[in-house]
Amino acid sequence: MIEARSVGVRFLFDRHRRVVTSAAARLRRAGSETWGLRDLTLAIGAGSGVALLGPSGSGKTTLLRLIAGVYQPDAGTLAVRGSVASLLSIDAGLLPLLTGRENALHLGVLAGRSRAQSRASLESVKERSGLGEYFERPVSSYSQGMRARLGFAVADEGDPRVIVLDEVHEALDHQYRQVLEERAHALIADGGVVVAAGHDHPMLERLCDRALYLSRGQLRAEGSFRDVQAEYLAELEPAR
Amino acid sequence: MTLQRELVVRGAPAAPRRSGALASLRSTLDLLTSLTASDLRSRYGRGPLLIVRWLAEPFALVGVYLVLMAVVLDRPGRAPGLSLACAIIPFQLVMLAVSNAMTAVSLRRPMITNMAFRRSLIPLSSVLTESASFVASFGIIVVMMAAYGVAPTPSVLWLPVVVAVTVALAAGFAYPASLFGLWFWELRPFGVSLVRILFFIGPGLVPLSQTSTRTSSYLRLNPLTGLFESFRDLFYYGRSPGAWNLLYPLGCAALLLAIFVPIYRRDQREFAKVVE
Repeated sequence: MIEARSVGVRFLFDRHRRVVTSAAARLRRAGSETWGLRDLTLAIGAGSGVALLGPSGSGKTTLLRLIAGVYQPDAGTLAVRGSVASLLSIDAGLLPLLTGRENALHLGVLAGRSRAQSRASLESVKERSGLGEYFERPVSSYSQGMRARLGFAVADEGDPRVIVLDEVHEALDHQYRQVLEERAHALIADGGVVVAAGHDHPMLERLCDRALYLSRGQLRAEGSFRDVQAEYLAELEPAR
Repeated sequence: MTLQRELVVRGAPAAPRRSGALASLRSTLDLLTSLTASDLRSRYGRGPLLIVRWLAEPFALVGVYLVLMAVVLDRPGRAPGLSLACAIIPFQLVMLAVSNAMTAVSLRRPMITNMAFRRSLIPLSSVLTESASFVASFGIIVVMMAAYGVAPTPSVLWLPVVVAVTVALAAGFAYPASLFGLWFWELRPFGVSLVRILFFIGPGLVPLSQTSTRTSSYLRLNPLTGLFESFRDLFYYGRSPGAWNLLYPLGCAALLLAIFVPIYRRDQREFAKVVE
């Protein structure tokens, strides 16, 4: 369902080390460039749960954003088959001054549903988020866990075939983690894909049976979660 | 450098299949509506005070310039408040659209970094957001016409055309403004000042008919001149707008869109990297 061939994602900086677009890089004084991912080749088949392991800055978030379509490859090719639901930050795309209901309607349309479809699903989102009366309140009054709940409920409403999670699940309370795990397992059993990154390895292991170890934007290892985790932790050991 | 993606939308199979172009148009309108509604609430909040602000703001602006022209400069002229309102209403739309567009991408950081959607509609939604206050500001025209005893004429039927040209020019400015706000974020206040200058190097304070022939030929090169004079044609002079007054701003809008929409569409691929 996900196939990357020699994929690269490049970041351009101006002379103040701020990230700029390619056009801005031509207009502003020349800076430097770095590759968040480089020459990455991988395939994730249907019915897979894949964890991304690696230290901060290794390219986990970049890969998740690539799969979600937030970034586009600067080199190589990437094919993602099936609709993607993404939860890549705690704020989950939510606008703080809008209520949970308004955000759910808005994000549903951004995800590709019509306004009518998005509006029709609002009660379902409210119920599945478990927010109750908070659904009618501005998101600025939510805790991080409540935002993650709403973000996941909205993302999952589109019946995705691929779910990408970036540490957001770690903000969820135990009750909702259970909901997320059950949903992830159901999706995988139904031939979908879950790709998750984070530092809560027990949680990742419950979601994913496979893992990819990324380091400096490149794939260092892939295989069963336990094997890849062991390799990652072994490489961390000398640094401790 | 390709991304192949098959999007499956839940619920879509149950809906009747529309033709590709119609479905695309419907989807564009839905997205534009949603971006605009969320922007309106995020920027302006909600409640009756919002309406009060939209209605009062043009009066405050016209009032300031009216005091300047009628009291400080003691400039003669017929119905100066109405003449000023005819310039300030279209100017405010262009000005606010540019100001909105310059921050439109960075204010949508949560969405841009979390999911894929058609970001090329963001500048258009900036224009639509500010169109809400633009529509509300027409109240001042009615008040000024009543105050000066100026009766409406059939030329007001041209209003939809003049409004459409105004919105088109605001959209034409919004795309480069959005890119300018991202590329030169430290110069955003200067960008707003540049647009404000256009008001003063146009017939904003006095009608074009009150300037010399030589001056007016230069002022006509300002695309805002056509808008100011078109509004004056409808409400101040009570006549149909001149062809130049409509076609020149429209041409400028088309030129700006032709240049900057392709640049914007290329650049938006990297917005998520920049707003992070």
